[in-house]
Amino acid sequence: MSNEIWVLAEHQDGKVKGITFELLSGGVEFSKKTGQKVAALLLGYGLEEATKGLLPFADKIYLLEHPLLSPYTSDAYESALLPLLKDHQPSIFLGGATSIGKDLFPRLAMRLETGYTPDCTELSVDEEGRLTAKRPLFGGKVFAEMVFSGARPQMATVRNHTFLIHENLGKSAEVLSLPIQLDPSSIKKKVIKVEKSPGERVDITEADIVVAAGRGIKGPENFKIIEELANVLNASVGTTRAVVDEGWRDLKDQIGKSGKNISARLYMAFGISGAIHHVLGIGTCKTIVAVDTDPNALIFNYADYGIVGDLFQIVPALTEELKKILASEG
Amino acid sequence: MEIFVLVKQVPDPEATVKIKTDTELEIENKYFTNFFDEIAIEEALRLKEKFGGKVTVLTADPKRVDALRRGISMGADEAIQIADPALEGSDPFAIARVLAAYLKDKPFDLILAGRQAMDDDSGIVGIALAEALNLPHVHSIIGLEVDISRKEAKVIREVENGKEHLICPLPALFTCQKGLNTPRIPLVMNVMKAMKAQIKKLDLVSLGIEASKVGSPAIQAKVIRYLPPPKRPPVKMIKEEFPDNVRTLVRLLREDAKVI
Repeated sequence: MSNEIWVLAEHQDGKVKGITFELLSGGVEFSKKTGQKVAALLLGYGLEEATKGLLPFADKIYLLEHPLLSPYTSDAYESALLPLLKDHQPSIFLGGATSIGKDLFPRLAMRLETGYTPDCTELSVDEEGRLTAKRPLFGGKVFAEMVFSGARPQMATVRNHTFLIHENLGKSAEVLSLPIQLDPSSIKKKVIKVEKSPGERVDITEADIVVAAGRGIKGPENFKIIEELANVLNASVGTTRAVVDEGWRDLKDQIGKSGKNISARLYMAFGISGAIHHVLGIGTCKTIVAVDTDPNALIFNYADYGIVGDLFQIVPALTEELKKILASEG
Repeated sequence: MEIFVLVKQVPDPEATVKIKTDTELEIENKYFTNFFDEIAIEEALRLKEKFGGKVTVLTADPKRVDALRRGISMGADEAIQIADPALEGSDPFAIARVLAAYLKDKPFDLILAGRQAMDDDSGIVGIALAEALNLPHVHSIIGLEVDISRKEAKVIREVENGKEHLICPLPALFTCQKGLNTPRIPLVMNVMKAMKAQIKKLDLVSLGIEASKVGSPAIQAKVIRYLPPPKRPPVKMIKEEFPDNVRTLVRLLREDAKVI
């Protein structure tokens, strides 16, 4: 048994994703209590830049490099990781609650007959390295605190922004390049194309700041004022189910029960009444601002700051005010 | 095409969920067929309409069969419930093992499931079932095109800020996401018929599964405590006139919340 804390590294275009740095920062925090080593599992092909990015964040980097590991498929990742997980039996194995983590971890846990808690919003360990995971149920109406039986690894996928990134962990990882044999016939599905959404913005699940408008925006063309505010804040733009069902915005921007759960540091809701479908998706955001013309709108029950007012007046003024202040700070 | 669809009746998003004891919840008796499962049923029916074949809806819920009836009323041909008192308290992996035991010697081209069930929101059962059956899976699909002669499917799945296009050989398991289709509303006449439709019931013995492989003895990650959502401090309403309210908001976000 290796008794290590492992983190599955995610990367895109050579760059390691924020969620991975967050998980490694959390892992290093745990290791202070448990004395365990923290390792990043880096899979793909052409990994020099990503390896470099990870060096200050872990004790070890297990490097699995193979053309069939790029782009990601659960088939290839599973084939590469299973023997390693069986051999090393890490104490903890963490991944992001992302399109990769949520896709891969159920298969691994099923095969390894070990515990797996998906989509966690809080994790802690005791001195013996026993993990306690907290996760939302029923869309966030209730949370469950969960512990693991004796099987290892204890597996969890974790939402964006659950841990803060620590830039100065004082680590300089040892890079261990592992031999890897992949049988091409074990890889059944093939990615033929990855279509990127237009624009520069990151996904609403990954964004630090999300600004959103609901039906109060009155029409798709009016989203431009929300976009302008987003530009100033370097934010992503979200919306409600009602707006998506109207066809005003793409489904990928939908926050809430049938859409995405977000954990932004700052969430600003404009012209959103606060239907249960929507507010369930914002429960783990740190600071919430609501602006709506209806003083009785439910959204105010979930907000930290509220303004009863017209978004068409407030949003442009807010954009200007922020522009002024941020410009003065250079 | 032979298609199985995994379905489940889950609490309606409006239903209240109360914490009764540390490890017990009280859920208001307001259930509906899991939103994503209806999308899976719809997709199966469309494939059947195109290629012929049969759609079977399948649940491992020992208590509720309404999702099966919903499937029948929409047009599914057959409904199967795996019902056994030992299933009570099972985790998603145990449910996947049970489903695998039933499906392992059945002929099928495709298994469809919802992206996740709107109760524990785990998103495990479908993918774990694919693992148990040694099938490829694609998670959270928003596009599907079957090429019956090549025995493969072109699938689009949702990823962060984009879409992934894949080719996947059949048989396979796909979990369905909003955007794939709009489920049909069944005719009242068909709803009436579905109320009387025969549901085939199976127990664990008939599937050759030991009771120790399911229920609480098989759980690897267990709930020790239910907790209410983290409480927010009461909202601070900014009551000044425009544009002072905007300035105050910016100040509070910078100095109080420190998020900008």
